[in-house]
Amino acid sequence: MKKKLLSLVLVGAMSTAMLAGCGNSSAPAADSQAPAADAQTPAADTQTPAADTSSSDNAAGGEQTLTVWCWDPAFNMNAMYEAEKVYQKDHPDFKLNVIETPWEDVQTKITTAATSGDLSTLPDILLMQDNAFQKNVISFPNAFVDLTGSGVNYSDFAAGKTAYSVIDGKNMGVPFDNGAVVGCYRSDILEQAGLTVDDFTDITWDQYIENGKKVLDATGKPLISMQAGECDLIMMMLQSAGSSLFNEDGTANIVNNDTLKIVMETYKALKDSGVLVEVNSWDEYVGSFISGDVAGTINGCWTMASIQTAEDQSGKWALTNMPSLVGATGATNYSNNGGSSWAVTANCQNTELAFDFLASTFAGSTELYDNILPSGALATWAPAGESDAYAVPNDFFGGDAVSAKIVEFSTKVPSNITGVYYYEARDAVATAITNYINGSDIATELDTAEKTVNFNMGK
Amino acid sequence: MSKSSKKMTLSRKHNLTGWVFLAPGALLILFMSFVPMVKALLLSFKTGVGAATTWCGISNYVRMFEDAVFIQSIKNTFFYLIIQVPIMLIFALILASILNNRNLRFKGIFRTMIFLPCATSLVAYAVIFRSLFANNGIINLVLVNLGILDQPYSFLTHATSARIVIIIALLWRWTGYNMVFYLSGLQNIEYSVYEAAKIDGANAVQTFFKITVPLLKPTILLTAIMSTNGTLQLFDESVNLTDGGPANASITMSHYIYNLSFKYVPNFGYAAAMSFLILILVAVLAFLQMKVGDKRD
Amino acid sequence: MYLFLCIVSFISVFPLYWMVCAATNKSADVVSGRLIPGTYFLENVKNLMANQNIGRALGNSFKYAIILTVISLLVSSLAGYGFEIYHDKAKDTVMNIILLAMMVPFVATLIPLFQMISTAGWLNTTIGFILPTISTPFLIMMFRQSARSFPHDIMEAARIDGLSEIRIFFQMFMPTMRSTYAAAMTITFMNAWNSYLWPKVIMTNSDSQTMPMVVANLTQGYVTDYGMLMLAVLICTLPTAIVFFCLQNAFAEGITGAVK
Repeated sequence: MKKKLLSLVLVGAMSTAMLAGCGNSSAPAADSQAPAADAQTPAADTQTPAADTSSSDNAAGGEQTLTVWCWDPAFNMNAMYEAEKVYQKDHPDFKLNVIETPWEDVQTKITTAATSGDLSTLPDILLMQDNAFQKNVISFPNAFVDLTGSGVNYSDFAAGKTAYSVIDGKNMGVPFDNGAVVGCYRSDILEQAGLTVDDFTDITWDQYIENGKKVLDATGKPLISMQAGECDLIMMMLQSAGSSLFNEDGTANIVNNDTLKIVMETYKALKDSGVLVEVNSWDEYVGSFISGDVAGTINGCWTMASIQTAEDQSGKWALTNMPSLVGATGATNYSNNGGSSWAVTANCQNTELAFDFLASTFAGSTELYDNILPSGALATWAPAGESDAYAVPNDFFGGDAVSAKIVEFSTKVPSNITGVYYYEARDAVATAITNYINGSDIATELDTAEKTVNFNMGK
Repeated sequence: MSKSSKKMTLSRKHNLTGWVFLAPGALLILFMSFVPMVKALLLSFKTGVGAATTWCGISNYVRMFEDAVFIQSIKNTFFYLIIQVPIMLIFALILASILNNRNLRFKGIFRTMIFLPCATSLVAYAVIFRSLFANNGIINLVLVNLGILDQPYSFLTHATSARIVIIIALLWRWTGYNMVFYLSGLQNIEYSVYEAAKIDGANAVQTFFKITVPLLKPTILLTAIMSTNGTLQLFDESVNLTDGGPANASITMSHYIYNLSFKYVPNFGYAAAMSFLILILVAVLAFLQMKVGDKRD
Repeated sequence: MYLFLCIVSFISVFPLYWMVCAATNKSADVVSGRLIPGTYFLENVKNLMANQNIGRALGNSFKYAIILTVISLLVSSLAGYGFEIYHDKAKDTVMNIILLAMMVPFVATLIPLFQMISTAGWLNTTIGFILPTISTPFLIMMFRQSARSFPHDIMEAARIDGLSEIRIFFQMFMPTMRSTYAAAMTITFMNAWNSYLWPKVIMTNSDSQTMPMVVANLTQGYVTDYGMLMLAVLICTLPTAIVFFCLQNAFAEGITGAVK
């Protein structure tokens, strides 16, 4: 009996192998010839019933359901659920199918689907990291829908934010969360050095280092920790003076970028003075300020969510803007790090519904933004910032109305150029800064970095 | 005469049976591995961004040798290969022969504990290793308290120590895994052989080299090829422990290929060309190992 | 010797201990490196249940891993047996060619493979998950290598007794090679259970998510709840550990009297 079963399984496996062979061998040539053409014809056309069930409900055209990919249940997924509720008030039949998909998976799936020419696996709407927007839209021009005429009023969004998702003058995304840079400090630690958060407001990096030395002397604690090999702080400093790693025409702007030189020197000065300590990983970075090993941090405002997990430190934190670069043209105390925007994919069957949904929620509802504020999702949509909810004091940060403050910061962030080759340039600069800190010469390192980026761009 | 022809047909019949037996597996590999591989090979002669590619001859293959990061990744990968694989296999062999001892107590528990690392999910393992080697991690704490270091050493931000941490992590994770093959291979050796050797007065070291190693040769070959392959395609540790850093000092070839495919502006033609270089490297090494180790007595 | 084993075991088990501790602590405590068990376990369980559909993910993972392991062992052992027992020049060459299949990084063949599976309509299906890894060069070679110690005289005896070739495989080879099967089963189950890149590409709806995907979900937020994460990781690790524990006697205790 057992044996019969086994041989049955065996036969099954063999016939599967055959089937697989038949199904595939004819397909390859045709597919690889015309990926672009395929990209135009979404789910409905493919002769694959199973594939359709994946992005499922949207295939049924008239249905009032949209599929969405995003990744944080407490944050952007929650925002989508709240948006669904807001939209359902006027459209009772409307439904969202939110699928939790980590950003890296979203990226892998976009790349796989668009490269293989089968967009039917994509959802109607997906959340995209702002830094990856240019890259994805330029690499896969057929995968996303132009939102310029979708009814979203882009003048309501902060210009610096919208710039991430504008490609060739077209609006390809609806901005979502705020990444305005904030400086967060443990006021109780600063106090031991005779300082307050005011000593860190509207200051330069030179003043920051001076203050940092005082804190170091009084408490033995550095002011800030940063993840080694990641250049978050470098990028924030750079943008605070409106500078980018690329020029308008897409060429690399590294060797002749004077601001970048100042940034690297500032970073090294921070590290050498002991005011900044480098840690190995993200977990260690978060751990360092939660456990009070450092006196604060500077990062995108979403870091506040991590800070607030240390419930016992409520009231001991204070928030202000970041230091400005010394000697750089256009230096400000404001910058941006991280953040994401919603994109509509070419697989969306009911683009009108998707447009209307986005225009009347994320680009049209103060109610939505009020509802998601407690989760830490700060708007980049100007009208939301005027809402009363944003003026409510936050006890964790010493009773300061931090939300309103951050919205104000975000309007002052200089816009810069992300560039299609953003990640390549970022990694190259990270290598440069690591070598520079370890004693290498700044000009050589920048030269190597620019060569690496040019190499990646095929030049 | 008739007898020999009968034997011929019998051996032909056996020959055919062999083919039938291996057909399902071989066909599956043909369609699930070789068909995609051929497509990837074709792609390696193309260039372009995303899905829009054009033929470019062998320029991808030329390009990779001008790519400083890729060359660095080859060096790193071979560093791991040369140091880690021999240590791991020898260590696994020693552990397996200790645990094969019938008189040993708590064998089951020891075996399970030593195997556990490779069952541990990558996420946990990465978080744990990073925290062990953190500036305020246990390793630094111990070394400073013992007076070996004056102040905490930042293991993951220095080139050599970052590579060594990766090797330690690999040893930790995969030694138990390889031990499993040796243990199972040892079961096919009559235990009485060991008892006989003991009666003849052979010590543990002699037994190990005279009996265990020769009889386990097929298994050792298997693990050697698998480890070579695994190391040349090393990905998880580079991504999760050091993220290739500091300054690409620990990045592996597969990690760089992944970056080119999914992190950077996708260039699948170039990534495919690099993948085929890995194929060639592994194939050459495996061929050498087969030459030395794959002999039927 | 015991001392040596104890040290090795301690080093091996330490991270697991850490994981257990972390699963019972608050996120902030985990990050600050607390190494003793806490009292936050039930809270973490509650959070995890509320946050992720663990039951569904476990069910999926078990389904995929078990089906894959059974079919894979059968197909691969049959092939390995075929390659070794009936070996000749041609088959050795084919074996060498098959080995090439594992030497290309998966990233390179991912896109063509995805194309094939999606054209066949197998996205989000069990068959889509298992098909590419049913037959692996690794398992085939493992069975081929161990078939080398399968005594030829037994086969001859069985043939004289009139047993067909396929029956020799099922009735003689399979039971004799119990230890190889047990080892292969452990490894295959583990690989299937932990496999991540492939499922994340072909599984696009929530209903087909696997355990490693759930773990990945937990690491992607702006705030990582380490207590909850480590609990999920613990749940994700246990099945492989249990499979190993149950099977180890089969592959490490030897075969009594099967081969003479």
